[in-house]
This record gives sequence, structure tokens and C-alpha cells, in this order.
Amino acid sequence: MTGGSAAGKSTFAEELALSFPPPHYYIATMRITDVEARRKVTRHQQMRQGGGFLTLEKPDNLDRLVLDQPGTALLECLCNLTANEMFDEEGRIQDVYDKISYGLEHLERQCKHLIVVTNEVGSDGIPYPAGTQAYIRLLGRINRHLAARYDVVAELIAGIPTLLKGQLP
Amino acid sequence: MILIIGGLASGKRDYVRQLGYEDNLIADGILDDRPVLYNLQDLLFSDPESGPELYQALLEKEVVVCQEVGSGVIPVTAHDRAAREAVGRLCNHLAREADLVVRMVCGLPVILKGRGS
Repeated sequence: MTGGSAAGKSTFAEELALSFPPPHYYIATMRITDVEARRKVTRHQQMRQGGGFLTLEKPDNLDRLVLDQPGTALLECLCNLTANEMFDEEGRIQDVYDKISYGLEHLERQCKHLIVVTNEVGSDGIPYPAGTQAYIRLLGRINRHLAARYDVVAELIAGIPTLLKGQLP
Repeated sequence: MILIIGGLASGKRDYVRQLGYEDNLIADGILDDRPVLYNLQDLLFSDPESGPELYQALLEKEVVVCQEVGSGVIPVTAHDRAAREAVGRLCNHLAREADLVVRMVCGLPVILKGRGS
């Protein structure tokens, strides 16, 4: 599930996840570093309230995540996970393509259904410093890799799901 | 109401003209009594909190045109982040009520909702 910021990805992905059999795992990747992040997380928690998701906070090291039993997982979102893995505490860049790919495959093996929310970060045409460019390229590469392998790819545009590959159930 | 979105220079204004609206009917980034509002994103970048109050007024328009601003890197300033979120969210709400939602890509209208002419 891809799309720009505030395009309706979460709402749609959560509804879709809940249409699959339980248990429903919500894998949250945002690292709470300031008030703004806290507000964003709270907003998403309120959206999910009563929905029956088991929330697992996993801002990094997806390769070490163990689910109690197979079910439906919603990972939100790949853009945070990638940034968390890629930049260390001093802001240095790590090559984490293999680590993230391995982590996702590790998760796939434990789920019957998996929905991954990502983001379109490469369409503003602004030349960024090298670190940011590397991030855009890495996220694009992971997105391409997943889209090639996964059954369904959709872009959310103004809250409207637009199918790019496969069929929604 | 018709909602037209798309990236910078994607052909949004040309599409509005094709719908039959002359330039004097198109208000650029200002809310007045003209039937077409163009550059909705400018209103939200001026005031990111203004989405809810703009919403009702925009439903009265014949055409609302907004540049897509959400498909890039997260902006550096809190103001720009808030504005970007506000643009996305307001477009989601408008799309829900719109009769027709069109996304322009390379000058081509892609119909997301409703039926194009």
C-alpha cells in the first residue's frame, strides 16, 4: 500500500487487514522522539481503538520479531523502519537493504496475510543532500522489490485506492 | 463538485479549461465567489489549521484544483509538515463528497471516481 502523506493509507490498510482472519497484528515502526511523533502515534492509536489489533512496537530489528501465532499483520510503515535502520544515532548511513529484506521475509513466513504500508518519497523533484538521496533510493528499491513479489499493490490517492497490481479481495 | 489533483505542471489548469471554464472564472489561491478554486494547497500552506473551515465552502464550488504535495521527503519545518498533512487530509474529505475526482498525470486525466466527460 503506497501513497503520499495523508493520502488515506492507514484507514484503508486497517480496514483491509481487519477483513482477513484474526489475530490481527499491528506492527508500529515509528520511533517516538518528540511531541509531534507522540501526537501522530496517539492519533493512529485512537483510529485503531476497539478495532481488535494487537499492537507491537517495532521501530527496528524486524528480523527478531516473533508472532505468537500465524494471522494477519499490518506493518506501518516501511518509511519509518527504513529511516530507523539506515541512520545510526550519529546520523551515519548504514547499508541496510539486506537486513530490511531479510526482516520482511522473516515476517512473511509468520503471517497468513501481510499488508505493508510504504510511502511515495521520490516525487517532489527537490535535490536533497546525499544522505536523504540515499534514503529515497533505498526506500524506492525496497518498494520495487516488494511490489515485484507481492500479490496486490495499490496506491492511495485522495483516499481512493487505485490498483497497480493484482486484485483486492 | 469536481476535484482535480496532480503534481506541479501536470496539466490541471488545461483540464479545467477543457471543462469549459474561462480564466476569469478561476480563482487562484483565494476563496471568493468564482466557481473554480485553483491552488487549494496555497490556502493550507498559509494556514494549516484552516482545513475544517475551508471544507464547507469548497463543497459549494463547481471545481476545486489542488496540487499533490505529499509524495516527497518529509519537510524540515513543522509548519510545512502540518500543511502537507492538511492538504492530504482535506483532499480525502473532498474526494469523498465529489462527483468526479481526476488526477492529472503528464497532461492525461486519470479518473479516480465518477465518470469523465
